[in-house]
Amino acid sequence: MRKPAIYVALAVGIAATNLCGRCDDDRPDRRTVLRVANWGGPSVDASFMKTEREIWDEFERRHPKVRLQIENIPGFGQYVPKLLMTFVSGNPPDVLSLDGSAAAVFIDNNLLADLTPLIRDDATFHLDDYFSNVLEIARRGERLYAIPLDFTPMVMMYNKRIFDEAGVPYPRDGWTWSEFLQTAEKLTVVDPKTATPTRFGFNFQKEMPLWFPWIWSNGGDVLSPDGRHAVGYLDGPATVETITFLADLVRKYRVAPSLSQSAAAGVDLFRAGRAAMNMTGHWSLIEYRVDRMDIGVTTIPTQIGRPVTVLYATGLAISRASRHRDLAWEYVKFLTSEAVQKKRVAGGLAISGNRKAAESFAGTPVEDAFLSEVKYARPPWGSRVEGYELVEDLGREMIEDILNGGVPVRQAASRTARLVEMELNRP
Amino acid sequence: MTRARSDWRGYLFIAPATIYLLVFSFVPMVIAAYLSLHRWHLLKEDHPFVGAGNYVELFRNPFFRNAVWNTAVFAALSVPLGMVFALAVAVLVNQKLRGVAVFRTLYYIPAVSSGVALSMVWIWILLPQDGLINYVLRCFGYPGDYDFLNVPAPGHFLPAPAMLCLVAMSAWIGLGPRMVIFLAGLQGIPDSLYESAEIDGCNGWQRFRYITLPLLMPTTFFVLITSTIAAFQLFTQVYVMTRGGPQRATDVVVYHIYREAWHRLQIGMASAQSYVLFGIILLIAIVQFALMRRRVEDAGEW
Repeated sequence: MRKPAIYVALAVGIAATNLCGRCDDDRPDRRTVLRVANWGGPSVDASFMKTEREIWDEFERRHPKVRLQIENIPGFGQYVPKLLMTFVSGNPPDVLSLDGSAAAVFIDNNLLADLTPLIRDDATFHLDDYFSNVLEIARRGERLYAIPLDFTPMVMMYNKRIFDEAGVPYPRDGWTWSEFLQTAEKLTVVDPKTATPTRFGFNFQKEMPLWFPWIWSNGGDVLSPDGRHAVGYLDGPATVETITFLADLVRKYRVAPSLSQSAAAGVDLFRAGRAAMNMTGHWSLIEYRVDRMDIGVTTIPTQIGRPVTVLYATGLAISRASRHRDLAWEYVKFLTSEAVQKKRVAGGLAISGNRKAAESFAGTPVEDAFLSEVKYARPPWGSRVEGYELVEDLGREMIEDILNGGVPVRQAASRTARLVEMELNRP
Repeated sequence: MTRARSDWRGYLFIAPATIYLLVFSFVPMVIAAYLSLHRWHLLKEDHPFVGAGNYVELFRNPFFRNAVWNTAVFAALSVPLGMVFALAVAVLVNQKLRGVAVFRTLYYIPAVSSGVALSMVWIWILLPQDGLINYVLRCFGYPGDYDFLNVPAPGHFLPAPAMLCLVAMSAWIGLGPRMVIFLAGLQGIPDSLYESAEIDGCNGWQRFRYITLPLLMPTTFFVLITSTIAAFQLFTQVYVMTRGGPQRATDVVVYHIYREAWHRLQIGMASAQSYVLFGIILLIAIVQFALMRRRVEDAGEW
């Protein structure tokens, strides 16, 4: 009775799926498909997506026999695992965006093509066009595994309007911890009635990539130079001193929000005008510009006589297994070229890895300050040490232990160092 | 002759399920056992045999011990809570009332929804500022900025608020299936027993205590076993809502295995962890069987 209807519905459904399958398979063109993996997705800034699409269209216009297949992998923290799965399953993209902070796992497992032969044979490409310390991120001895796309050094940003209101002079590059602390104290405002701060001098954040350069600025480090040991480094005297200083910003001097104050605010306190200084990278400028904030940029305060900071960068790499290596190289060259880069970074997401493109944006105080910081910047540990993600997790948990759990700094640091040591030396 | 032929046809009927089990459960189990004896990184060429090395390493690993502890805490809290809750609801919807079918359907809805969608709903319920619970708290004059999923545990060996949220949530998600099974059990108890008890002067509680509970024992036992197994396999909510945080307070074994396999790519170690989990669940099931057998059999002989 009702059965025929079901059969009809099923038949229609099957026919429909088959038809669609046919549409997909039925490629009218015989173009070569070049697969490009990117992070991102709908959450990425819409105007930036539009720019990228125009760049891809332009590449296809110049290479009529090529079809770009852009594979966006959305989700924070999902890009690297999902991309690795494409390699494990033997189906990697031809070109991939390589996050400098996770480069080690790709480079050291021999997943990427060494680009030096391609560079050597290509008279139109000049490595000198790129920032040398950004290139370092994906270099292993003579071999080079990625061409810089864009990057940012971590810097200290400050809200000029708050400084002006408080009558505090702007910081100068190369300032010290004590100068920083004095400045932060002057900028902190406490409501006398409730005894709670209404404005903080500094927006401390617990995520390790956002605070660990302080360790370098005190002459310490997270890991040993070969990246294999944490004991004696993450719990070394310079590091313990650094973490104590940072923790004291919150609990002793009260110039920075506690973790619960940050969480309760639920917003970027700096962007909300409730913190005068923030340690961050170029990407923040997009939002701050939208809010018409008057931003100043200076170096991370240092104790070692010269500024130091970390580079967070994206490069373009080619899978070793790619069957279209020359074409992939054309794509890499095109995307990192001066003309395309000028267009791509115009939105302000980062600094171009191409020096000429980057310098074409010079002339504003903020951009000049960023460019002048590049020479102080070092590659992130994640570009050298596979699984560094875990060190960053443990670093955040250490801060939580100290600030929320009241664990003494030395004890927390030594526990964390031992855990990291165990993880690094796991068989 | 005829009998033999019907046997042969019987195998045909169970063949799909058997093949499915063999291919998707048994074969992977054998492969996992093999992997667990090797140091096997998904991207490295060499996969040296390490024997029990992974297992020894596991028991020394404080993160894995932490995950086992968290899972045990979750099971110890969520299984009794979930069962009592489901039984109570089952007794309620077992009443002969108009529209009771509507309630049965409503309570079953979480069971047929996607775990990710449910987790998203709970994230909204638990949001620090704009969440439903904080909104209600504010209505009663509390600050209403409680960050349920990120507040650290109040002390060692005490569950973090996030863990309690997962427990509460699991009681709600698991309600549907448990309630249906309890309901079937309740409806299998003959009315004549209640009638004679009533004639003998038993009150409602006594009827529940001395008729319902004992006769429901086989059902309860079944729900206990399946709930315990499900509790040890908690994953989706952790993956979507807490990512094991705050400070690994909700890092449970299956989530830990997932991270080991797909983030750290140590498939050998992840397989060893899976086998340890398998062993734990098996052990608990055996103990539960041993403790419950008598009561279940008694209940079967009324």
